[in-house]
Amino acid sequence: MAGSQNSKIWKKTIAITVILLVLGFGVVIGNLVRWQIVRGEELRMDAEDQSLQSTSLTPMRGTIYDATGTKILAQSATVWTVALDPQSIDVDSGDDVAIARVLSEELDVDYETVLEKSHQNSYFVYVKRKIETDLRDRILARLEEEGIGGGVMMVEDYKRYYPYGTTASTVLGFTGTDGQGLAGLETYYDDELTGTAGRIVSAKNGLGNDMPFDYEQYIQAQNGYDLILTLDETVQSIVEKHLQAGLEACGALEGCTAIVMNVHTGAILALSTKGDYDPNDPFTLAPEVLEALPEKADEAVQKALKKEEEELALLEFYRDIAISETEKKEADANLRAFHRMTAEEISALREEEYDKAYSEAQNKQWRNKAVSDTYYPGSVFKMFTASAALESGAATLDTSYTCVGQWDFNLPNVDPIECWVGPPGHGAETLSDGVTNSCNPFMIYLGQLMGKDIFYNFFESFGFTERTGVDLPGETGSIYYSADRLGVTELATESFGQNFAVTPMQVITGICAVANGGYLVQPHIVDRVIDAEGNIVRSAETGYKRQVISKEVSEEVTKILLKNATSESGKNGYVPGFRIAGKTGTSEKIAKWEQEKLENPDAEKQYVVSYGGYAPADDPQYALLVFYDEPQIGTPSGGTQAGPYFAAIMKEILPYLGVDAKYTPEEFENLAASTPNMIGRTIGEAKQLLEEAGFSWSVVGYDGDNEDAQPVYTQVPTPGTEIPKDGNVALFVAELTDEDYTEVPDFVGCSLGDCEYLAGLSDVQLVITGSGEGYAQTQSIDKGTRVKRGSVITVSFVNNSNVETATD
Amino acid sequence: MSDNTRGVARGLRRIPRQRQTGVVTTMDGKRLVRRLERTRFTLFSRGGGIDMPMLFLILTLLSVGLVMLFSASYAFAYYYYGSSYFFVARQGVFALVGVAAMLFLSTFDYHHYHKLNVPIFGVAVGLLAAVLIFGPLLKVDAIVPNRNGAYRWINLFNIIEFQPSEVAKFALILMFAHLISVNGPKMATFRQGVVPFFGILGIVDGLVILEKHVSATLIISLIAVLLMFIGGTKLRYFLIIAGIGGLALSAIIFSQNFSYAMARVQGWLDPFNPPEGVDTWQTVQSLYAIGSGQLLGVGIGQSRQKYLYLPEPQNDFIFAIVCEELGFIGALIVIILFALFIWRGVYISLHARDRFGTLLGLGITFQFGIQAILNICVVTNTIPNTGIALPFFSYGGTALLMLLAEMGVLLSISRHSVIEKT
Repeated sequence: MAGSQNSKIWKKTIAITVILLVLGFGVVIGNLVRWQIVRGEELRMDAEDQSLQSTSLTPMRGTIYDATGTKILAQSATVWTVALDPQSIDVDSGDDVAIARVLSEELDVDYETVLEKSHQNSYFVYVKRKIETDLRDRILARLEEEGIGGGVMMVEDYKRYYPYGTTASTVLGFTGTDGQGLAGLETYYDDELTGTAGRIVSAKNGLGNDMPFDYEQYIQAQNGYDLILTLDETVQSIVEKHLQAGLEACGALEGCTAIVMNVHTGAILALSTKGDYDPNDPFTLAPEVLEALPEKADEAVQKALKKEEEELALLEFYRDIAISETEKKEADANLRAFHRMTAEEISALREEEYDKAYSEAQNKQWRNKAVSDTYYPGSVFKMFTASAALESGAATLDTSYTCVGQWDFNLPNVDPIECWVGPPGHGAETLSDGVTNSCNPFMIYLGQLMGKDIFYNFFESFGFTERTGVDLPGETGSIYYSADRLGVTELATESFGQNFAVTPMQVITGICAVANGGYLVQPHIVDRVIDAEGNIVRSAETGYKRQVISKEVSEEVTKILLKNATSESGKNGYVPGFRIAGKTGTSEKIAKWEQEKLENPDAEKQYVVSYGGYAPADDPQYALLVFYDEPQIGTPSGGTQAGPYFAAIMKEILPYLGVDAKYTPEEFENLAASTPNMIGRTIGEAKQLLEEAGFSWSVVGYDGDNEDAQPVYTQVPTPGTEIPKDGNVALFVAELTDEDYTEVPDFVGCSLGDCEYLAGLSDVQLVITGSGEGYAQTQSIDKGTRVKRGSVITVSFVNNSNVETATD
Repeated sequence: MSDNTRGVARGLRRIPRQRQTGVVTTMDGKRLVRRLERTRFTLFSRGGGIDMPMLFLILTLLSVGLVMLFSASYAFAYYYYGSSYFFVARQGVFALVGVAAMLFLSTFDYHHYHKLNVPIFGVAVGLLAAVLIFGPLLKVDAIVPNRNGAYRWINLFNIIEFQPSEVAKFALILMFAHLISVNGPKMATFRQGVVPFFGILGIVDGLVILEKHVSATLIISLIAVLLMFIGGTKLRYFLIIAGIGGLALSAIIFSQNFSYAMARVQGWLDPFNPPEGVDTWQTVQSLYAIGSGQLLGVGIGQSRQKYLYLPEPQNDFIFAIVCEELGFIGALIVIILFALFIWRGVYISLHARDRFGTLLGLGITFQFGIQAILNICVVTNTIPNTGIALPFFSYGGTALLMLLAEMGVLLSISRHSVIEKT
């Protein structure tokens, strides 16, 4: 019995043991295989992830250089963010008070605010962002003096600087607080400029402290690439100076833009939109803009009030004419239900309108008009119509047409289109005359000769139907009639540059094609992207997209435009010696006007005035387009309002860009010359040398004998000054006295003759620029300035006659 | 009864001396006592000596356990106690004392426990009651500290701290082994084979469950049931009582908050995406450690998870660090050591001189075997997280002392086992 019981114990025990070992350990081993072998790698990575703490290293944003590669247009510099770690501030020893005192004094922040922050239950509280390194050093030194151990943190950060302020601001754009590009090149090339963030990876224990073993991985931040622009700061500054002067002169409401482009490569040397901003402080509005905001808000409020009045008047009118009782009741009910704005509602509305106007004004100052706005190119477009007509063979240089002051379609219900000159018109014209007269009927004639398909093909070829693809953000597309919708009247108006809207960038690209032998170039503003070592990461595409017109046609049109700029409607853009080929443009903003007329019957028609051209005509190098939107002062005219600034820009940038002046004999005659240096010579030698050079002379301040032996003490004008070729050099033998000075007269507004008379009276010499016709516009030295007798004053004339106005 | 003959034959073949000694005991007590006197202090000889493979297994497990405890507790001890040696030094002292105690107790004839079983049981129950009295009732924190809302420990003058439930386990095993060996064939009856056992188990379990110590309750119940089953209690009584017990247990487990219990089950099934309010941090960190080990381990001392990620890595979750540092291969070796330990413990017990030795040895072997299996199950998230220490590995001086003392009892049994001991 005992035996059987024992054997039972054996069996049961062995069964239980086997079950325990197989089941228990079997399941456990199975699970170990699952966790360690099957999912081991995944779990190991997760475990590592939780123990590895990664600290991000901010890369330095790339620098933007101008074309010279030496001038920095945008650069990032290290700044510091001041923050508090309230948990490590020793309040018992009064560190909080000391910190609040130091920080409030140094950072110009409120003492109480800092003190309050120092008591917050947190590990990180911002105090001030982006302070300079020297200020940071000073604060740290002061904190050390005060014996403050911890609690103030200085976190490295970057700030963007734009050393040239407003220069090229709409091109460069600006960055946000986290260094991200928000406008302009900063946005377009954000990825390139940003670089790649680096990391410090270190192992931490469960409490976030460093592990005792050595595990640290350092991945260096890769700084952003630098941009080297095609834009040249010198050219840009010249363009901006004159563009601004022109803006002030014509008071263009909707701003202005100017673009300088290399006609062969499409490289943009300058691009300016005035009414721009300082990218160092992009959110601030110009004071005059800010001042105008309350008025704008008021206007909107008045408009709303007026609308309310009108609605009320209408309701009262309905009540008065109501006949039946029900109608009367209904009208009364409507009147009673009518809600008039309360004072609070009005002030709320004013605030809302003010905010709206504010953000509109900000957007306006950031807007790059050259790519984001479209306009009717007007007569500037005539160079394309002429080019297309010649290239297609529809017309030759000998093609002639007689302008009678209007183009009659000979179609029922279609009004004739008038030429700007009015009846009796330009008379018989060749193609060259048609362009230089800016004759609208002639262009319509050319358009009809080509027909809509050929015209549209060229329109397309010149790039007016596609975005240029320039490397700037916010480029808008053009508005035009496609070939199948191009009716006879649409063809007619498009022929002379009305009724379709293109961007200034498209127009200047087209001008480049006319200039460079017919090639449509790729406009671009970044020449190359380089890394920190100076290796080129990417270069601009400078190849052309297609050939639009032949070299011969290009040369023929250039000749016509040269003639136009030299002697005809475009001569305000003329610069002696630089063979300018150009065309003026004045176009009506018809669509906008018609829209406004619906609201206000008295709305005035607004204009766009422009001047587009290139130089030198014998070997075109640089194209320039100057464009003012809605000029308010004077008669709207591309010739008078854009031309002079076109000329002023060209005159300054062409010598800088290495284009040598070449004068025609006629120009040479009128040319100003530089005065030679006579100081130190005897009067006798000076007389002889001046006469040989073609100048006249006078001796001032000496009545004694032996005049010729006296040394020249000084001369007026001083050596190197530009004076007329036959001008006078006054030689002084002694120091100048009061009597040797004179006051500059006011030449502005005078005719050439009057100017000469005034100059004679005041004993100064004149250098005339511009056509010499019409009235003086500007003078080089302000009226009333005291200058030495014989000094040279440059007076510029702008031709007001022979200015075309657009018609439609 | 069908293979009665075979069973007898096997029994005869395997333990011929047992029967003989049984006969000798009844026939010639004085001779036996003399023989025992002679062999008592012969530590390592065949026959009267202790079982060398078992001693070797115990010392191996103890050594590996100490090394791993040092490695696992290194960072935790450093950060919270200022010295990396804090745990291993204490555990080492207890291990030395424990080994001495084990060797001493191995010379103590286990038959004396027949007489000691009632006093030991009384002490165990008294200690359990003391926990409840000084704990939830009187809240004397100096004696019964409150740990995470549970009272399980008795602290004596900050020198010795132990869980009375550990004592209760041994007391229960002893009591059951005694009763079963005394009852003999009467185990098949309800009155003798069921009632007293469930009465005793009810007292112990009742006291332990009042400590909110579910894992100890489960282990105690499991050992009790196994011993009864082996001892000859009829299977059908288990079915009835297992049903009642299961119901009661689930009632206890789920009584407080069923949805919370469900959430915990969810947290167990998918510890990486636990439901709201369920903290699976420890399990997740354990699995991270196990996974990090992969096949060959990160190398001893190289664990990353012990750096305050895995909470208290020196306690219940030490096996996770073993897995991380020694890899699957190392974990497998440790598991094999435990398996060998169980096998050898069972082998010794089955060859014990009498049924009391068999049942006492099995009880002790199963207690630590089950604890090891359950601990590894918890660490590998095979079963839901519950507090079970890994014998020989987990930190706990008094527990180690008790473990080694019980090993001494097992070795004492081995002295009288008829087996090859070298």
